[in-house]
Amino acid sequence: MTHGLWNLRVRIEGEIIKDVEPEMGYLHRGIEKISEDRHYNEIITLMDRTCYVAGLAWEHLFIVAAEQALHVTPPERAEYIRVLSAELQRIASHLMWYSAFVQDLGLMTPFLYGMRDRDLILDLFQSYTGGRLTYEYMRVGGVRSDLPLGFTQRCRQVVDWLMDRFVEYDQLCLSSTIFHERCDGLGVLLEPEAVAYGVTGPMLRSAGSHRDLRKDRPYSVYDKLQFQVATASTADVTGRYLVRMEEMRQSVRIVRQCLDWLDDHPGPVMAEHLPRWLGAPYAPMGNESYLLKRNYPTGVGLSMMEEPHGEAGAYVVNDGGEHPYRVKFRSPVLINIWAAKRYLPGYRVADIPPIMGSVDVCVGECDR
Amino acid sequence: MDAKQLSDGLATRFPGKILGVDPLDGTLGRIRFDPAVATDLFRSLRDDYQFTHLTLVGATDWIDHREVFYVLWSDTDRLYLVLSANLPTDAPVIASSVPIWPSANAHEREAWDLVGVKFEGHPDLRRIFMPEGYAYHPLLRSFKIHEPEDLEVKVRSD
Repeated sequence: MTHGLWNLRVRIEGEIIKDVEPEMGYLHRGIEKISEDRHYNEIITLMDRTCYVAGLAWEHLFIVAAEQALHVTPPERAEYIRVLSAELQRIASHLMWYSAFVQDLGLMTPFLYGMRDRDLILDLFQSYTGGRLTYEYMRVGGVRSDLPLGFTQRCRQVVDWLMDRFVEYDQLCLSSTIFHERCDGLGVLLEPEAVAYGVTGPMLRSAGSHRDLRKDRPYSVYDKLQFQVATASTADVTGRYLVRMEEMRQSVRIVRQCLDWLDDHPGPVMAEHLPRWLGAPYAPMGNESYLLKRNYPTGVGLSMMEEPHGEAGAYVVNDGGEHPYRVKFRSPVLINIWAAKRYLPGYRVADIPPIMGSVDVCVGECDR
Repeated sequence: MDAKQLSDGLATRFPGKILGVDPLDGTLGRIRFDPAVATDLFRSLRDDYQFTHLTLVGATDWIDHREVFYVLWSDTDRLYLVLSANLPTDAPVIASSVPIWPSANAHEREAWDLVGVKFEGHPDLRRIFMPEGYAYHPLLRSFKIHEPEDLEVKVRSD
């Protein structure tokens, strides 16, 4: 099966799948290698390209690991803006998944609805980052700029509209016989196997697991926010659909709480007294001695986050310098695709599009 | 469970093979171990300490040696643990963790492909991103970017 940028070699007997072999690497751009030659803030540009449907989520991931390696603490307002961005990005990513997935099933109308509603979120992103796909918004020590005037009001309108739309999505899909016939009971991956194969994210939660890093190991400000972990019990394609739909509703909940907090707490969005080599535009002048003998910190940063596709990780080794020595990313999609060896055999050839569609493949982050 | 408790327990079990524990924010710590005991250590961590999830395997080229690191997750304690082992540059070989955690399969293939670390006992140690027949391991520090001959690679016959 070709989903644009990767291949799935399938061995069949008649109609039945016997074995599969995913082939990746067609989109390998060497992001980990390029990162070794770049300043920390320049790597953010690469993060948008790593996963081009969830750019802000990956920026958040890298920035937290980099800040840990460089011993920088961002102000709380920046943390809330990051979480707000990550959750809006989760909705946008899931809407993209929804559009592509229903198209795999042969339903064209929901595709257009999903893409249209995703554009509303992209409009929001454009209003404060300037970009619709590649944002380059977060920085070591905070975010590039504060939210524009009237943003929280517009954002509330959009998420209110989306909440109504989610009901319509469910009506479109769950009341459709075709949807159920193509999805129910397919691609079953039970929890113990999912854990053994390293599968994470909505795929794991559709098997009844409550594993969500936002709850299990709260990073950023997630410990101050109220939300529930979306789960399903069927472990099949329909279960993954239900989990992602519920996750979008929970993301709206988080977004609303963030907006309330941001309304009440104005403040700086960038850490103060950053060294100028970190790209701080307003580093204090006067003390120029650091230009002659720069004092670089060293450290290791590890951040693990619940990205829209699953559990993503960044491991940043800072050996004292303006560039990281090594950057390593964990891509949830790589592992979720690789586990196809477990959840595809036994089903029919015609079941491959719904099953692989339910994985939410983003080859950009898989190949890096 | 804290880092001291874990490292003391492991040091009793594997005398002289646990080389140290470094603090690492957000995790239990970073345990440096002797690669000779890799398989037994992995099995002990999974069975005795409930590190049932393997999240990440990666490798770093430090020019005079190569480092392999593992990130483990314990669902009962809700903790990350980082393991790290140093391998000599001329023979970067370590036992595979696939028999213990099947999820290591793709990670180890990636570490072999990009950093050239060999995992003994891996069921299918092939390149994952680069084409078969590619002569380099691109994440090595000795790798030179922009070599035109890189573009000439063998194509698999199947």
